[in-house]
Amino acid sequence: MIELKDIEKYYASKGVKSYILRHVSTTIKQGEFVSIMGPSGAGKSTLLNILGMLEEPTYGSYSFMGEDVTTLNERKRIELYRNHIGFVFQAYHLIDEMTVEENIEAPLLYKKVPGAERRSRVADILDRFNMVAKKDLFPNQLSGGQQQLVGIARALVAQPSIILADEPTGNLQSAQALQIMELFKKLNEEEGITIIQVTHSEVNAAYGSRILHLLDGVIKEDVNL
Amino acid sequence: MFKLNFKIALRNLWKNKGFTLINAGGLAIGLASCMILLLYVAYEWEYDKQFTDYDNTYIIYKNDPVSDQVYTNAWTPGVMAAEIREKISGVKYASRSTYPSNMLITYKNDSYKKQAVHTEPSFLKILDYKFLKGDPNTALQSINSVVLTESLAKTLFGDSDPIGKELKLDNKEPLRVEGVISDVPENSSIQFDYLMSWTLFEKTNPWVKNTDWGSNFCLTMLQLKSNKYFDQANSQMKELVGRNDSDTGVEAFMHPLSKWHLYNDFENGKLVGGSIDQLKIFALLAGCILLIACINFMNLSTARSEKRAREVGVRKAIGSSRSSLIGQFMLESVLLSLMGMIVAFMLMEISLPYFNNLLNLELVLAYRDWKFWGMLVALTLFAGLIAGSYPAFYLSSFEPVKVLKGFSARGGSSLPVRKILVVFQFVFAACLIVCTSVIYQQLDFIKRKPIGYDKGNLIQLTAHGTLKDQKKLPLLKTLLIKSGAASHVSNFSTDISSGGNNTTGIAWPGKNPKNDILFNTRGTGYDFVKTIGTEMVSGRAFSARFKDSTNVIVNEAAVKAMGLKDPIGTVLEWGDDRHTIIGVMKDFVVESAYRDVAPMLFYPDYLDDISVILVRINPSQNITSSVAKIDEIVKQFNPAYPIERTFVNDAFETKFDDEKLLGTLANWFGGFAVFISCLGLLGLALYMAEQRKKEISIRKVLGASTYNILTLLNKDFIKLVAIANLIAFPLAYIIINKWLSGYEFRIQISILPFAIAIALSLIIAILTVSVQSVKVAKANPVDALKYE
Ligand SMILES: Nc1ncnc2c1ncn2[C@@H]1O[C@H](COP(=O)(O)OP(=O)(O)OP(=O)(O)O)[C@@H](O)[C@H]1O
Ligand SMILES: [Mg+2]
Repeated sequence: MIELKDIEKYYASKGVKSYILRHVSTTIKQGEFVSIMGPSGAGKSTLLNILGMLEEPTYGSYSFMGEDVTTLNERKRIELYRNHIGFVFQAYHLIDEMTVEENIEAPLLYKKVPGAERRSRVADILDRFNMVAKKDLFPNQLSGGQQQLVGIARALVAQPSIILADEPTGNLQSAQALQIMELFKKLNEEEGITIIQVTHSEVNAAYGSRILHLLDGVIKEDVNL
Repeated sequence: MFKLNFKIALRNLWKNKGFTLINAGGLAIGLASCMILLLYVAYEWEYDKQFTDYDNTYIIYKNDPVSDQVYTNAWTPGVMAAEIREKISGVKYASRSTYPSNMLITYKNDSYKKQAVHTEPSFLKILDYKFLKGDPNTALQSINSVVLTESLAKTLFGDSDPIGKELKLDNKEPLRVEGVISDVPENSSIQFDYLMSWTLFEKTNPWVKNTDWGSNFCLTMLQLKSNKYFDQANSQMKELVGRNDSDTGVEAFMHPLSKWHLYNDFENGKLVGGSIDQLKIFALLAGCILLIACINFMNLSTARSEKRAREVGVRKAIGSSRSSLIGQFMLESVLLSLMGMIVAFMLMEISLPYFNNLLNLELVLAYRDWKFWGMLVALTLFAGLIAGSYPAFYLSSFEPVKVLKGFSARGGSSLPVRKILVVFQFVFAACLIVCTSVIYQQLDFIKRKPIGYDKGNLIQLTAHGTLKDQKKLPLLKTLLIKSGAASHVSNFSTDISSGGNNTTGIAWPGKNPKNDILFNTRGTGYDFVKTIGTEMVSGRAFSARFKDSTNVIVNEAAVKAMGLKDPIGTVLEWGDDRHTIIGVMKDFVVESAYRDVAPMLFYPDYLDDISVILVRINPSQNITSSVAKIDEIVKQFNPAYPIERTFVNDAFETKFDDEKLLGTLANWFGGFAVFISCLGLLGLALYMAEQRKKEISIRKVLGASTYNILTLLNKDFIKLVAIANLIAFPLAYIIINKWLSGYEFRIQISILPFAIAIALSLIIAILTVSVQSVKVAKANPVDALKYE
């Protein structure tokens, strides 16, 4: 599903290149649950952003479901992205001006899903996440854990084939974190959604099937659990 | 999608009420100013265009070469229209008419002084006024025919049918109402209340019949069958006068009716512009104000971009394309401009009466006119799209990763743009301040410039009825002076503050036959010099002690133009008569205060009708009671006519109407522009304060005082405004210099207006910015730092 070959990323400032990622090559298959780990500043988020097409690598090739992402034009890339990728952020990043329901609905609007289906999908998700009662609240009226649930619901509603999560539980208490991890595991096992998460916690990583250890931009270890 | 975007847009606007208010308010003021100015421009632009065939209708002008100059005017001989009908190709109609003048019209016992025009039936063919009653084809054919405007008919007859009713002109001539037309539109050059036949004019003014090509007292108009005849007709026109009156060198030409009002300034026979120049300034002003409002809008919108950057990032991260983001921001912007438009509407409705009053106009919002709505919608969309474009493209260009990583707005790159916009606004504002001050200085200068006589406390009474009677005039004079209300009384053949009869038909010894001079000719009564408060340079004034019937007086300009070394005793030939110069009067202004005084020739009044009585109010008496006394005496003396009295000073003021209008508009709209610019500045200040919150807090923790912080914050803005002024000065200098060059008499541009501009803009800017920065400077630093 994902194939990275010799991905490099650096920022040049004042003529000095500082490498963030070096020679990153790996393959991730459909249905895997991968955790990326490593010390702060190792380049984990950068790698995830590249996987999520939010950032472009300086060198190297990246193919997503057989398409070479680095050569795609913007429109096609957005298309691919809309249809297959769901993002979950550490800081939730919900849109403050939208209600819970609207936040969840937004990706479907961008995907141009027809109204009736949109409503039923949003209703389903709300139901599944037990948030029907909260659908008209605004993000600042929710707790952190609830906001992250909405974030995940938003990522899921477009029925992506892969979810990318950057420290999804970083801002949460362990109980809430556990709940989210259980959810990921369930999604992965029951619906076959590929999940790639960045995490600092061994416990969280243990939910997955594979761990990539990143150190100074280089994959040091690739462990299958 | 649209629905959600719409909902979010509304929510966003509601959430930031203060911002919405400032932004929509600024836009509203901009739009309202722009619309009102455009309304005025359209009003002027539509002048004389109400007639079906205005496009091929022409006013006959003539160029009078006088010594080395050419005078252009639309006063034409009475014999011209008939000749045009006969000799000029492609003419459909030609008409002659008098210029409108106040005449007394009476129905039963009610008398009114109303604007009257004598003309021929073809006049009604050329200018197809809407006939409410009566037949346009037969009106004005019989000598007693009169056509009334709707309002005059209403005044005279109320609701009863006016057709066939008998009226009296000047209490003598019987008139019969043959038609009622709807009122003459305000923006029509020929303003009248009733039309009468030309034959009646000839009857009441017997001299008219004997006039030839040398005497100009008519307005001549013609309508072509089609404009393809124009070139031919106009070149025939050029020769028309010369063929009949060979040695004057006068050339007639056709000036389009549609340009009559706006293109009315001729120099040496060439069209050089006219009110159109002023109108262009207003149109430009309208555009600039709108632009400023839009810039403001952009500035305020981008000022919030930091807050919205995250939203953009998130939207992109969940699959939004750039174009859909642009759509969202555009939508918000258009929504806001719609709000602005609604407020602008209210502002316009509230302010229009005031402006109408100020400009002496009757502008209305034409709700039923599609053009008005079209304009409105176009302006709103334009403002919304233009104003929204920068934030839309700027915000939508954010890269999601950067934003989401905990971004601080791309301060480096966005600020210069915003600074440039603010500088631009203040350049405009400073330009306006400079120009407005110079306009006022010039106006003041011209008003203070001596006009050659003392126009204060001088009254002018329209001579009608008994007041016109030469034999009874001395009695009135005695009565007025004896009463103590007046110190001197005289009479004049024309309103003293306006143009009038002129002739080139004067010869003097040593005159070059090719070198005609256009003389203003005026009949004056005794004591004229003392009454108006001027003086004789040499010789003497007319006096009852002499027989002056063949004597004349000239002004200094005339002596100079004729090149006479020793004018007194010189004999002039005027037509067939010979006149001796007995005195030279000091020059005084009758027409434009901006130009040199033209040559003038005065003759004793019995040669002509008397049109005004001039009364010098006794300086040692109370003015109000003197005026009341004068009114009383005149009423007793001339009971059949209403008293028509003006202070010459007031009448003279109307000469400055154009400049006053320009000054007033520049002042008001300049004020608005400055105000809107300040909103823009406020926006920038908000933005800066937001950005520097942390810095300021740290500085305060380190011990900076509120004053230190204030200087820190204001320094940047002062710099911006100063830069704007520096850019504005040369610009303003060029513009205002060009404007001033249109005046023969003008002020030197001094440093004062520039000093005013820089002081004013700085003070205003500092005040504006301080509103915001004081708040920031006084804020508790802990609040800002806590969130870091
Ligand atoms: N725009 C940028 N310019 C220069 N350097 C950058 C930029 N963005 C990130 N970096 C650098 O790239 C490196 C990797 O950043 P990244 O966010 O991927 O780390 P991370 O592994 O996710 O760390 P953390 O666990 O703290 O989130 C960091 O050293 C950071 O300084
Ligand atoms: Mg990270």
